[in-house]
Amino acid sequence: MRPSTARIAAGLRETAPGIAAVVLLFLIWEGICRGFAIRPFLLPAPSLVFAQTLAAWPVVLKHTWATLGTVLLGFAASVAISLPLAMLIVSSRALAAALYPLLVITQSIPKVALAPILIVALGANELPRVIVTFLVAFFPLVVGTVAGLMATPPELIELGRACRAGRLQELLRIRLPFAIPFVFGGLKVAAALAVVGAVVAEFVGAEAGLGYLIQTSMAFFKTPLAFGAVIVLAVMGILLFQAVALTERLLFPWSSGAAPPGAGL
Amino acid sequence: MIRIDRIRKLFPTREGEVEALRDVSLHVAAGEFVAIVGASGCGKSTLLRMIAGLIPPSSGQVLLDGSPVTAPRAETAMVFQAATLLPWADVLRNVTFPLRLMKQAGAGTEARARALLATAGLTGFERRLPRELSGGMQQRVAICRALLQEPRVLLMDEPFGALDALTREEMSLELLRIWQGREMAVVFVTHSIPEAVLLADRVVVMSPRPGRVAEVIEIDLPRPRSFEQEALPAFQAAAQRIRALIYGGRLPRAA
Repeated sequence: MRPSTARIAAGLRETAPGIAAVVLLFLIWEGICRGFAIRPFLLPAPSLVFAQTLAAWPVVLKHTWATLGTVLLGFAASVAISLPLAMLIVSSRALAAALYPLLVITQSIPKVALAPILIVALGANELPRVIVTFLVAFFPLVVGTVAGLMATPPELIELGRACRAGRLQELLRIRLPFAIPFVFGGLKVAAALAVVGAVVAEFVGAEAGLGYLIQTSMAFFKTPLAFGAVIVLAVMGILLFQAVALTERLLFPWSSGAAPPGAGL
Repeated sequence: MIRIDRIRKLFPTREGEVEALRDVSLHVAAGEFVAIVGASGCGKSTLLRMIAGLIPPSSGQVLLDGSPVTAPRAETAMVFQAATLLPWADVLRNVTFPLRLMKQAGAGTEARARALLATAGLTGFERRLPRELSGGMQQRVAICRALLQEPRVLLMDEPFGALDALTREEMSLELLRIWQGREMAVVFVTHSIPEAVLLADRVVVMSPRPGRVAEVIEIDLPRPRSFEQEALPAFQAAAQRIRALIYGGRLPRAA
């Protein structure tokens, strides 16, 4: 088992500086709050944030699940729509010319401005929140996938043609696998953005979720709880990002630069 | 077997059409090893791609066994300068990829692929990913991939161009060894004159802008070939002739 202990040690060496930096940041924050006696409703010390968040844990957890649901549905919608969309863009110049301006328009509209309109149009339910999350998250995934599909080396395309592969075969068996690292690059950004999108939607219209919790907490100057919700959101973003990275390592070991099992004998 | 009949190729550019090939005619017999040598821009890769059916000529035609080549054919296989392996597939799956793509992979395909890899000295590497192999090994995999299709014509576009000089020499001899056991014509594009002379039965020398056949030179050296033959007068004479054709009157001379 020597290689796996070595891997764990290497993993620790890699993550230790990051953890140390976060701990240091919290210590400085705590020091400033105590040293300057800042009032808790302006800037609560981390210890107070943790204490109050733990005290209200069942409530925080309920809102976390609500937000996570929106995030995952929006993220799933992004994946389900972005990948076929990217393939359409790559497969035809005319489609690309027609779709790209539309994509750019969806990106130039501030989603905060769109959210109240969607909620009026679609009703105060999960659907408008998922759509806002999708709108925030899907763009980098489309752009990344298109870049990957286009980045396939011309020799590989020529090899496909020499083997008499049709356009669909070329797309599915050469271009798409080649695009996998790019797709995962887009997925990582989309995962982080999905959290942003869900909170934006919750700010505008929701009766649950961490965005809603932050708003209601601040309305009553329960600043520590709002900070707690922000930290939960950050952790959620990090975990989603890591889940995507882990999926890439497990399913496509050649893609992520991780050594495949059995390598380096 | 291959008859290239007065082909011409024009490429559209911003400044109008550029003539890449003019009036090129050539014949390759079954089982023959033909090398095409020429300076950059003489259209030798274009010519190779026309034989492969990857690009059509503007006029004239390429005939394979008497029928015009209009699209890639099962009888031809191609090896590129870059190994162009699929980064996500292991060595074995890379070698069988063309057959799987053409839905011609059968029960014996994997065994044949393993046997081919063994002759290329790649036993034990079947499950490795391309990025774990050296450049020379990757190109060997690419050659095995082409050979597994049992082509009657192997088209090679500067296959050893990206390799270091020592690997290159080793690979040339290996290629000859593999070719000698088969009924397979090879069209080998290179810009190395010694490589062309060492490998080929005939060397087609091309001149650039527009690409034309300057001369076809018969290489009168016994087989099996080896690097010792480089010292023979026949080798030197052929290499000198090719050099003179390529550089024309302006033979480069060291000061």
